[in-house]
Amino acid sequence: MTIKYKTIKEIKNMISHKEISNKELVQEVYKLINENSHLNAFITLNEDSSLKKAENFDNNPSDSSLAGIPIAQKDLFCTKNLRTTCGSKILDNFIPPYSATVIENLEKAGCISIGKTNMDEFAMGSSNETSFYGNVHNPWGDKLVPGGSSGGSASAVAAGIVPAASGTDTGGSIRQPASLCGITGLKPTYGRISRWGMIAFASSLDQAGPMARTAEDCALLLNEMCSHDIKDTTSLDENIPNFEDSLNQSLKGKKIGVVKDLDLASLDNNVVKVFEDSLKEFVSLGAELVDISLPNLSLSVPTYYVVAPAECSSNLSRFDGVKFGRRSENPKDLEELYIQTRSEGFGDEVKRRILIGSYVLSAGYYDAYYKKAQQVRRLIKKDFDEAFSNADVIMTPTTRGPAFGMGSKGSDPIQMYLEDLFTISANLAGLPAMSLPNGNIDNKPIGLQIIGNFLDESSILNFAHMYQTKTNWHMYTPEGVKE
Amino acid sequence: MDKKTVTTISYLSRLKIDGEKEEKITNDLENIIKFVDQLNDIDTSDIEPLTNPLEKTAKTRDDIVTADNLKKELLEIAPSSNEDYFLVPRVVE
Repeated sequence: MTIKYKTIKEIKNMISHKEISNKELVQEVYKLINENSHLNAFITLNEDSSLKKAENFDNNPSDSSLAGIPIAQKDLFCTKNLRTTCGSKILDNFIPPYSATVIENLEKAGCISIGKTNMDEFAMGSSNETSFYGNVHNPWGDKLVPGGSSGGSASAVAAGIVPAASGTDTGGSIRQPASLCGITGLKPTYGRISRWGMIAFASSLDQAGPMARTAEDCALLLNEMCSHDIKDTTSLDENIPNFEDSLNQSLKGKKIGVVKDLDLASLDNNVVKVFEDSLKEFVSLGAELVDISLPNLSLSVPTYYVVAPAECSSNLSRFDGVKFGRRSENPKDLEELYIQTRSEGFGDEVKRRILIGSYVLSAGYYDAYYKKAQQVRRLIKKDFDEAFSNADVIMTPTTRGPAFGMGSKGSDPIQMYLEDLFTISANLAGLPAMSLPNGNIDNKPIGLQIIGNFLDESSILNFAHMYQTKTNWHMYTPEGVKE
Repeated sequence: MDKKTVTTISYLSRLKIDGEKEEKITNDLENIIKFVDQLNDIDTSDIEPLTNPLEKTAKTRDDIVTADNLKKELLEIAPSSNEDYFLVPRVVE
């Protein structure tokens, strides 16, 4: 009995009908990891502890919502006594003495953290090509990138190894790989999920979220991942609804904002067709389309590439070789210890972003770049405030095209930065947004982005679930359509 | 963006850029700055900067100990430490 490509819901049924024991389930996951080792989706495995937990569930069955469910955790979350590298050489020996709040929340609900997934170094990348631990491969094709930065998580779910994985999203790092790997991934409202124990990249943008095969599973995971955490001062103290409750609501009369100033002409014709077909499906489900305007949308990428590097240069100053992680050998003094440790430990993309951050924050440039970008950030947020006065959700393609080949973006970093054109604005405005599969181009999946209003993950999940009850794009796997 | 600026910001960042990579990184930084310079065309007079999407004041909490003391565990994972301190090369002769 295989668990390949099964959803959480299906696996829960298999366990409750005793079609598989918890131990067999976990053994099966490790078998799939081995069979798919060429994907390089994992950096560290957690086999002994996972098998023990599974045996424990066999001996003492539990009815908690994720009891025995194997989940792959992005290697950006601190996991107690389990190596956490963040895709970087500088943390290749880091074993945290504590777990991130979101990991604790998931484990309290019974999930088994089966391993840590590969990612772009410090989550800086859109193709998983910046990881110190090597590229992750997309199961949909040889030499195709899985997207990034949560590329290992996306690849592991897309290959059917695990039903779900955790991810983080600073400018699109859940949604873009979800689109390129044909899975469903949600970035919640900024502050919904505690950032405590997440290795910080850009603190005003970072947000954790679920990556799974269906919107239904994302709702289940989100229920467990969200909490108000006094250890994170930006953690929201707001009512957390049961996200499963609204999944089946009718879409009749609900409004979808379609961005009229989106330059669709710059996109692949196939991407436009897939997007327009999806809108038609929603109309047939009873939703209405309304034109909205986001006039500052095109400024989101340049705004992001000031704000994110500024926050990164500040956050990454903690990696100095003194308290944890790698230290360079035989430095002659303290200054050399810092400089050598950081120069040896960080890769080129991370260095580039730290340097940009130091530049835009330095005396004489602060107002021209950092303050300016934060002002434009407010304009982008205002556009969304206005758009949501007349729409329940906003839809765009998630990406400009399907998965691209490794190395194909060349050496110009801006070409890679533009990969996140449609996703970045939701991070700047702090809004929840999801990507779900809505088509195939040359047998490669592609995703639809649904952006919701502040704290309104429920509407996104409702639209996504209703779409997935009517279409089967989420059932496509690299081996054909799931029955 | 010239080599002198790159040297200055490298030092501020406590990073050393290898000689062979210096030209490429100077070029990349130049292009990135040119790319973000388009923000200067936007009129932002009277617009308050948005530093955080929540725009809420951080909450305070009662000053009570809520976490375990991890001193031993934290010193154990340090590259160099004794029973009380992180150790670094001597800074005072």
